[in-house]
Amino acid sequence: MAVSSGVCQVFSEVLRIPIESISDDTSPENTPQWDSLQAMNLVIALEAAFDVRLSTKEIVSMRTVGLVRKVLRNKGIADA
Amino acid sequence: MLDRRSGTGSAQSAEKVRITEIKAAWREHSQQLAGPDAKTSISIGLATSFTGNSLLPFLGAPLLEVDLKPSIELGPYNQLFQVCLDHKNIFKTEPDVIVLLYRLEDIVLEELLAFLQGDAGAFQRAVEKIDLLVSALKGLHERFSGTLITSLPPFPTILPTSTSSLENPIRLGALHRALTTRFGEAVTSISGIRLCDLDAVQRECGLPNSFDSRQWYLYRQPFTDSFLFKAGSLLARMVIALRRPSKKCVVLDCDNTLWGGTVGEDGINNLELGDEFPGTAFRDFQRLLLYWRGQGILLALASKNNEADVWEVFDKHSGMLLKREHISAWQINWNPKSENIVHIAKALNIGIESLVFIDDSRMEIDYMQATRPEVTSVLVPEDPADILDAMRHLTLFDRLEVTQEDRSRADMMRAEQQREQLSSSLSKEEFRKNLGLRIDFFLAQPEDLERITQLINKTNQFNLTTIRRSADQVRALANSVQQRVFGIRVSDKFGDYGLTGVVIAVIQADSRQLVIDTFLLSCRVLGRGVETALLAALAQEARMESADYVEASFIPTAKNAPAATFLPDHGFHAEDEQRWKIAVSEVPDLDSSITLTRSGAPRVGLGTVDLQVSN
Repeated sequence: MAVSSGVCQVFSEVLRIPIESISDDTSPENTPQWDSLQAMNLVIALEAAFDVRLSTKEIVSMRTVGLVRKVLRNKGIADA
Repeated sequence: MLDRRSGTGSAQSAEKVRITEIKAAWREHSQQLAGPDAKTSISIGLATSFTGNSLLPFLGAPLLEVDLKPSIELGPYNQLFQVCLDHKNIFKTEPDVIVLLYRLEDIVLEELLAFLQGDAGAFQRAVEKIDLLVSALKGLHERFSGTLITSLPPFPTILPTSTSSLENPIRLGALHRALTTRFGEAVTSISGIRLCDLDAVQRECGLPNSFDSRQWYLYRQPFTDSFLFKAGSLLARMVIALRRPSKKCVVLDCDNTLWGGTVGEDGINNLELGDEFPGTAFRDFQRLLLYWRGQGILLALASKNNEADVWEVFDKHSGMLLKREHISAWQINWNPKSENIVHIAKALNIGIESLVFIDDSRMEIDYMQATRPEVTSVLVPEDPADILDAMRHLTLFDRLEVTQEDRSRADMMRAEQQREQLSSSLSKEEFRKNLGLRIDFFLAQPEDLERITQLINKTNQFNLTTIRRSADQVRALANSVQQRVFGIRVSDKFGDYGLTGVVIAVIQADSRQLVIDTFLLSCRVLGRGVETALLAALAQEARMESADYVEASFIPTAKNAPAATFLPDHGFHAEDEQRWKIAVSEVPDLDSSITLTRSGAPRVGLGTVDLQVSN
């Protein structure tokens, strides 16, 4: 499974939105399901799915799905 | 079936799987709640001194699993005092349950910091704030008739010192214990407020696994999923225990369950039981069984053995903590246990669904599950070292209050067996006369309300209206001006049946009537003339209240057939399909073999204002 689809998969499962509707531009501003509670759940789910630990700086920077990918790529996860 | 054979490693991954399931179940339920035909069966108001959102799935999902449909409304963050003072304006709908959870560092942070710096007055200032919280809770408890749950706070985490600090190692621990104990004791003294021990939850998780610093700094949410999972499960168990009856009886296998080895093959002298492992493990399990018995759980045996062999172990083996007199019913023979368990339920006069079957044989467990799915079957762990831990974690016997009746239930059962011996040798009339029944009728006092609530919620057979009520609703009735909550205590020459009957009645001053809302008797005292005596006592009460008529209703249920003809049998006339009425003067007299007393002061006069509850 490619990591990029993995990121979308996590977002789709946690936010319960169709996977096709998720793009790099998906953000709390254009996705009402991505509220502060779900932000916490996303962090927990991403850490579990990719077996990483995210720092608060990384968490705060993850304002779009594209930026989530960037953080994961920087942590050495290929294809993210 | 409950099987706790899994080791710690797989237990951790099992928890992860459960957490994922819980979050998914709660998401789905939340979507349904937002939909057009949303139905809820219980509403919970949750207020926390930290961000509480993450707790919702862990509290809500276990309730969904027992078919409660919860709606949970979260109060404002860290506003516990305001919630206590003004819950009606904070929660949109009046909740059935309010849960208030706090951490010490959210409430007395300044005092904790000063204390660590050696400020001598800091402890006293912290105590004063905790006392303030207690009185706020007390106020809420008086204004709110639902169930109120609060927390014992966990060990503080966000402080300059840690548990491994070298300086003053005992100081913070001592402070936490002192404040927790003070709060716990104060809250326990207010009857009806329940405590959820978050300190124990934290101990079970371990400190490092309960605190998530990133979530704390980013979202003011201090706990890990593992902590929230355990805290939510505990809270859910409390909510469920208030609404569901717990199991009443454990049916035990003997060989390799109560002792190691097989008495029929190994002989009494070669059993593993006593001061050396594995005998110690079985002894500890017997200790747990005796503890359960003291909580009102009956013990019974279902063993494939020669009966004499089993009793020889009970009577003669020095390692046996369980004695013959602790066992309320037994079937020791070679018949299928699925048949024997039915006999046991019948002998104890309890429903088969209130039995828990414990056996070390997977085959017996599987067979019981296949033939008697209503019985809860529990497999004894293979390694004796695991038995105690597996069994004491069972939640089947969850109850929030243990009454005096619970504690003496098993002993009362023995008296009942002696009564049965007498009754089989005499006619019904002679038996009644020989029993020497004594009935005490009284207005419920605060200390009676636990037991009365228990009877209201579990009595199925002799119950005219089967109206269920929470402890808090019963307390409100007992304090009201027009309502009367009565209880009876029954005893005879063999012993005490305890508090076994409840009447709730309304005094209608304008129509000079006493209207019965609830009239119930525990099945323990049925068929001895107690029901007639209770009515006679109530008529006496009606006279004192200057009422001329007693009105009652019968609402049929699947189980209350034993009460179906009670009203016409005692001279009540049908008013309509449900309501029945009798003139006080026509109420049948007391059977002469029964002694009736009326303890405590009556409330006199129709609608007289008398708020005195204790005498």
